[in-house]
Amino acid sequence: MKSAKEKRPAGQKQYYRRKKVCKFCVERIDSINYKDVKLLSQFVPERAKIMPRRISGVCSPHQRQLNDAIKKARNIALLPFTTE
Amino acid sequence: MPNYEIMFIVNPNVAEEEIDKINGQIENIITSGGGKVEKIEKMGKRRLAYEVEKQREGYYVLFTTNANGDILKECERRLRVMDAIIKYITVRTDEEGRRLQKIKNYRQKRAARRGSGSRAGTGQSAEEAMQ
Repeated sequence: MKSAKEKRPAGQKQYYRRKKVCKFCVERIDSINYKDVKLLSQFVPERAKIMPRRISGVCSPHQRQLNDAIKKARNIALLPFTTE
Repeated sequence: MPNYEIMFIVNPNVAEEEIDKINGQIENIITSGGGKVEKIEKMGKRRLAYEVEKQREGYYVLFTTNANGDILKECERRLRVMDAIIKYITVRTDEEGRRLQKIKNYRQKRAARRGSGSRAGTGQSAEEAMQ
């Protein structure tokens, strides 16, 4: 696949995917707290599902913490389980 | 003794004094059991993310405590019984706190070793690239 991409004729626009980075690593957010609704809501799109790692780019240790935090927040009605 | 956080939602139609009374009761349970209440934070009225007991709003209260499991168990029992409480959650925080302290120490040590400034610069540019 990769070689085919490189063989593209000149002049055609090359598709280039920017590398995703983990928000928590970059901004050095150590604690992902369930009370921080503003932070957590960035990772729950409108259907209130937890955003997968392949889309958000969050690294796996942080994704795990994020999961826990979102689930706790849901429990105390800070975040929705689903939209009505 | 471990640290716990108790967060509960009071019915928004309940008067302010009533909430204070509930807080007093919970505090009493903890202190009489030998625990310590570090902080009582009234987070005020908030919209709930979903309907709970026919309510769309709730009055959030957060207790930060230093108490053992038995006391917490009693607190939870009382919260379950009280009519004004719509929902509650207890979360253990001391393990997380220790982990954060460890990270902080490590950062400090590293910053001291390599001098400040150089790392902060690269972090900034990566942050900008993301936006």
